[in-house]
Amino acid sequence: MPWPLYLALKQLFPSGRISLFTIIATTGIMLGVTIMLMVTSIMGGFGYQIGRMIVDTQGDIQVTASTPIDGNKAAQIEKVLASTPEVLASAPYAAGKVMIEYHKHADIPNIQGFSVEQMKKVLPLERYIIAGSLEDLDDDSVILSSILARSIGADVGSMISVYSPLMMERITQNEILYPREVRVAGIFQIGHQQLDSSTVLCSLRLMQDLYGLNHQVHGYNVRLKPGADVDVVAARLEQTLPPGVRAATWRETNAEFQSIVTFEANMIFFLMTFIILVAAFSITSSLLMSVIRKTREIGLLGAMGGRAKDVALCFCVQGLFLGTAGTALGLALGFTMLHFRDNIVHFIARISVGEETFVKFYQFSSLPEHTVAKNVVTIIVFSLVASTLAGLIPAWRAARLKPVEALRSE
Amino acid sequence: MSESGSTSILQAVGLRKNYPSGDRTLEVLQGVDFSVASGESVSIRGESGSGKSTLLNILAGLDRPDAGELLWNGEAAHRLSLSELTQRRGLFLGMVFQSYYLIPEIDAIANVLMSARLVGRIGKAERERASALLSRVGLGERGHHLPSHLSGGERQRVAVARALMNRPKLILADEPTGNLDERTGDEVIQLLLEVCAEEKTAIVLVTHNPVHAKKTARQLFLQNGKFV
Repeated sequence: MPWPLYLALKQLFPSGRISLFTIIATTGIMLGVTIMLMVTSIMGGFGYQIGRMIVDTQGDIQVTASTPIDGNKAAQIEKVLASTPEVLASAPYAAGKVMIEYHKHADIPNIQGFSVEQMKKVLPLERYIIAGSLEDLDDDSVILSSILARSIGADVGSMISVYSPLMMERITQNEILYPREVRVAGIFQIGHQQLDSSTVLCSLRLMQDLYGLNHQVHGYNVRLKPGADVDVVAARLEQTLPPGVRAATWRETNAEFQSIVTFEANMIFFLMTFIILVAAFSITSSLLMSVIRKTREIGLLGAMGGRAKDVALCFCVQGLFLGTAGTALGLALGFTMLHFRDNIVHFIARISVGEETFVKFYQFSSLPEHTVAKNVVTIIVFSLVASTLAGLIPAWRAARLKPVEALRSE
Repeated sequence: MSESGSTSILQAVGLRKNYPSGDRTLEVLQGVDFSVASGESVSIRGESGSGKSTLLNILAGLDRPDAGELLWNGEAAHRLSLSELTQRRGLFLGMVFQSYYLIPEIDAIANVLMSARLVGRIGKAERERASALLSRVGLGERGHHLPSHLSGGERQRVAVARALMNRPKLILADEPTGNLDERTGDEVIQLLLEVCAEEKTAIVLVTHNPVHAKKTARQLFLQNGKFV
């Protein structure tokens, strides 16, 4: 074994035991890596969960056109979708905005109309129904999102008035179109603030009536088979769909939301890096103290024929070793804590606010987690680089020591 | 050739070393001529500040002279770069210091073997030699003791064994008994000279102690940067 490595290990593990410095420095890096892994995985979990919710309400791909799609174009689109092997199912939809009113309470939510039977193959909406039933949805009823229902005070069975833009259009033609009275057939809750606060679901027929679309639709929600690459399929559909029709992935249609999630993830990662940097500085400071404490020993190594670069290597190896051990332990602890995250959260909730209050307030009982391999690799690389660099400053100082001056030092 | 007539393994000609001291220059070494023959023992005495340690550091290649020549086994050491000096020093000479300078994290035998590790020679033969050297200095049973578990005299014995590990041509000992009581100091000097004689290794002993100095074959006295 080369002597810098031998001596580095002996200084970290004198006489086979672990030195206090090794324990403290390794623990610092370990905690940094654990926290980084947990925070990025849990934040990734929230982002991933919201992403899944969006897919569950929009499908993997939305096929849209600049103008309403008529029967001829719709047939072409359906033919293309049917011949695409990765497509599991597709369903037409029409979407827009309406004003709803119930007992003097009004709102202007988004509305989406679809064929229940077709849509069931694309979107698992029944999973999100918290009152009423998707089966009860007909051409004279709607399903309201939970926050919207609460804000206007409507419940299952309530009769609400729906005002569409078509009414305005008719007024300009001196015609009066009365608001459509519909029954609330159900209430759904996705768990996504934006979707839960102002969304109305209805049948495709009702939506076509409200917007005067006849048999036209605004687009298709497309569900892909598991494992299919959304971006690749969307790009291929773009080339085969009729002119003026485009296929957008759920990420593209929610680009703003995605950019916010990515920005948040990057900011959290950036802030978390400071934890590892603090740990790395503790390594630097400990190794620097070690260099100062061992000045005469370093001088001795030079006097005995040890080269300056090997003396530097001895301290660099210590930084690298501490970083490697701390990273490995941090990953082990991080993955263990992620595995038991719900137990930990519920334990903290039980001894603080109580489990019921916790679930009621936060609206989730299981902490989401989504660990991305790229993030783990980034954490490992960052931790190892920071630890090794932490050893470089003391190493550089040690290498600059002249044996004669080092031996003379007090 | 040295004064004893044998081939010189170390030769210094006209060594000069100055240090700035405020507005003036302190002439620590003022043209020192010195040589050591193979296997010879030489002592250097002198008052504090006479330049003993400076001379020893220059002879060891740890410091550079301002003027003069230094030959190690006939090779012009004063012309070598610092890295070349470091490389040759590990094999050409061994050093014994007043404060022992053992590495505290490793046991006695590992400290002895460190000399071999530093020059990249570590194997069964080296382990056997380290063990034999420790036995020779009376610490055969204490090879696996950490320096902190050894007395001052025992530590200096380990340092002697370490200095001899690579079979150097020369040992430079800088006041090796300075931190020891009189009886232990006498024992260490006796041992150092005996082992050097057995190994046919030359020794330059810097000491304040005239009794210790008299035990060497040749005694020199340094005064104001010159041998008198």
